Amino acid sequence: MSYVDELARELVAVGIRGGQRERILAEVDDHLRSDPEAESRFGPPRELANAFAADAGTTESRRAAVIAFGALAVAGIVYAIVFAGFGRASHLSDPPLASLAFFVIVLAPQIAFVAGALALLRVWRGRERGVLSSAERTVLARRTNLALGAGLATMAALLVYAVEIRSSVSGWLVAFTLAGAGAACVLLVVAIVPAVRAARLRPQIAGPAGDVFDDLRLIGYRARPWRFALLVAGLAGLGVWLAGIAGADPIDGFIRGVFEALACLGGFALLGRYLSLRS
Amino acid sequence: MILATLEQEPAHGYLILERLRERSGDVFVLAEGTLYPALHRLERGGLLASAWSPGDGRRRRVYRLTRRGRAELAERRSEWTRFSGAVQAVVA
Repeated sequence: MSYVDELARELVAVGIRGGQRERILAEVDDHLRSDPEAESRFGPPRELANAFAADAGTTESRRAAVIAFGALAVAGIVYAIVFAGFGRASHLSDPPLASLAFFVIVLAPQIAFVAGALALLRVWRGRERGVLSSAERTVLARRTNLALGAGLATMAALLVYAVEIRSSVSGWLVAFTLAGAGAACVLLVVAIVPAVRAARLRPQIAGPAGDVFDDLRLIGYRARPWRFALLVAGLAGLGVWLAGIAGADPIDGFIRGVFEALACLGGFALLGRYLSLRS
Repeated sequence: MILATLEQEPAHGYLILERLRERSGDVFVLAEGTLYPALHRLERGGLLASAWSPGDGRRRRVYRLTRRGRAELAERRSEWTRFSGAVQAVVA
């Protein structure tokens, strides 16, 4: 088997296909025709394919995270307008499906925001580095995918909620929710494409995954991750309580704040390892 | 250094290596396995652009500097001049 044939096989193995693969093969083939002795300087086909995939994989993973965050930002604007429109009415009397949708509307955007922001933070922190390790790309992909999934769940829940309570809110709000959340869903689905493209590339690059303490430059908390989780949960709960006080409803704000803090701790327990928030 | 070899005129990978070797008096002999991933990376970063060009009866991928690539080259050259001048001043 010739060098180019072997390289063709290795490129497929690391996820480089189509036009990109053809281009690499044509360039290598052309070079070897000019200088047949260059084969040894190209290195083993597996290593060369891995080098191409490592570069492309790093770029694609970063791009996917940034595009996902952009799509989530648009979804976040829709969410803020719609949520403000729904107001703070009691949801205890909502139909069961609306109550379930409301639960998703409250919880999922927080997951989307945290996962998306952490993905973006990882991109920012590693922007000077040439190539990301395989473990680091996995972390980036998990954060991006979870952010997109939670964003889609939020928009879908908004659609369901708007339909379920359409008789008790203004027609323009229902129409805006259907149009805005529908458009945001399309945008989020489009943002999945670069994430899928990044996932297809499978270079093997050694190196640590890093965790949230690397991202935030809070190395001191690595040995005590739950202390960090308590601090974040406390701050989030306090923020919600203060918002309640500002809204002249301190008791309700306090209860919401406690739930917020508990949700943060629950999220840390459930998703901490998956998102590389703790090791 | 790759950017510098393309400053005067575009070139394909083999020619880039030749220019690098000749200009450095055989000091810099970049391995092909390093060059091509680097060319693709620089193109992805917007510093190079490339296109197929017929030559010697076969297609060749020819690279050229973009405007951003020229700006990057000027900046790197300035950094290097400052750095090498400082080293020279210390060791001379």
